[in-house]
Order: sequence, then C-alpha cells, then structure tokens
Amino acid sequence: MRKQEEPYLTGNLTAMIDVVFQLIIFFVCAISMQNNTNDDSITLALAPDGKEVRDKDPREVKIDVHKDGSVSIASQPMSIALLEDILRKTVADCGNPDAVPIILRGDESVLHEKIQGALDACSKAGIVKVKFAALKEKGG
Amino acid sequence: MARKRYRADNHPGELNLTAMIDVAFQLLSFFLLAIKPVDVYANLDAFRPSPEKTNVSTPSSPMITIMVLPMNPGESGVYVMNDTPMTTPQVEAKLKRYADTDPTQTILIMCAKRSTHQQLVVLLDKCAKYKLTNISVVSSAGI
Repeated sequence: MRKQEEPYLTGNLTAMIDVVFQLIIFFVCAISMQNNTNDDSITLALAPDGKEVRDKDPREVKIDVHKDGSVSIASQPMSIALLEDILRKTVADCGNPDAVPIILRGDESVLHEKIQGALDACSKAGIVKVKFAALKEKGG
Repeated sequence: MARKRYRADNHPGELNLTAMIDVAFQLLSFFLLAIKPVDVYANLDAFRPSPEKTNVSTPSSPMITIMVLPMNPGESGVYVMNDTPMTTPQVEAKLKRYADTDPTQTILIMCAKRSTHQQLVVLLDKCAKYKLTNISVVSSAGI
C-alpha cells in the first residue's frame, strides 16, 4: 500500500510580525510619554557643577514658575494661596516638613519676586529645605 | 523489484524576509530621527529660613552675605559679597577661598526682587562646585 504523502506544516508569520511591531511602537511611545513629566515651556538655567539627579523621590513636589510668573504643579496653574494650602496638606500628611522634597523649577528669565511667592508658600507651610532645578547638561 | 520513489516536493520551506527587513529598516531610521538626547538635570539645595522664626542663632563662623542685584541686559551678573561689588568670576574665586577654609560655613544669599532666577542658579552652582552646603536664600525687601 502506498504511503500517503505528509503535508508540510506551514504558517503565515506576517500577521504575527505586524502585531509584534505594533506592540514595540506602542511601548516605546508609552515609555517616552511617561518620562516626559516636566513642563517643556520652562527654560531652566544651566548649572554644570550641580549635583546630578539620579533617583526620583515619589514624594517630591515639583513647583513650576513660568516666565510670566504663573505658578503650577503638574501643569495645573494655581494661585500662591492654593499652593500654600497644598503644601500645608502635604506636610500634614507626611507628618514631617523635612520629608517633603520640594523641587522648584523656575524659568531662567523669571524675576526673583515671582520665585519669592513660591518660596514664601514653602516657608509658611514649614518647609525650609528647597531644591532649585537646573540643567546640568543640555541633551540637544 | 519495487523501485524506490523519491518525493519530488521534498524541499525545505522558505520565508520571504524582504518585507520584514524593509519594515525593520524603516523603524530603525524613524527612531534614529525621532529620538532626542535626554537633558541631564541637577538639583541645587538651599535653605529658606522661615519668616516666623525671628530668633536666628548666631553661627559659629562668620556668615558670608552675597546680594544678587538686578542686572542690565548683556551683563553676566552683579553681586555684592560682604559689601563689595563683584562679578561672577570674582565671586567664584572668593567662594573657592572660603571653601578651602571651611566648607560648612553659612552663606546667605539675598536676592533682589528684580534679579533674575538665572543669577541665583549661577551662584548656587558655584557654591555646589566648591561643596559649600550651608546655603540660605532670602529675598531682599528693596529693589
């Protein structure tokens, strides 16, 4: 009896490769969006000798002071009074003002009187230690 | 005698990789063009004395006071260190000398209202360069 010829097992990989590339693109875009939490409208002053930021503290509060003097946290504009309330509440939640890391991101051209408002809000909330954000090395 | 038959269609399967390589190169060139070099950030530590605390304890070593004055366009920076007007390189030289003596001594930076934030950052950067850590930033009432 003649043995029946075995058919080759073939598979079309095109669809799978398409999906793999789609997933790669999705994750690359998602990661870059996650990293870009800083407000790009603020031009930070250069500080080539400053201590490089390596680890991010999840508790840190970034206060942005824009060129026009407006203050915002996480792109949410707010008044100095509201900023003070938020900082007071954050300090109350943490229990210790020193445990609240404050990063003040001021535009290089903004006048100190605009920065002063944010600094005073920190002081009134009991926070005496402030970090000023600067650019150590410009990427491109 | 039975003749042995060879199967004519017994050849290995082939996968056309041309399209996949095309797409891979397209993606590679896209990402090479799209990726922007990352900025490296620095944090400059400073203390902000509380306005409610009026009883300031006397520091063990004399305090260095640096005033940051408003500058005109084109100027590099105007500072007054212990009542002596100075440029940025002069301030840097003085800070180096102070750091060699005692890096823990208190530096009080008084910023004028009309001075720019960049001037303050430049000064804090110079302090960081010479490992001066005890820095307080206050705002001056005038100007």
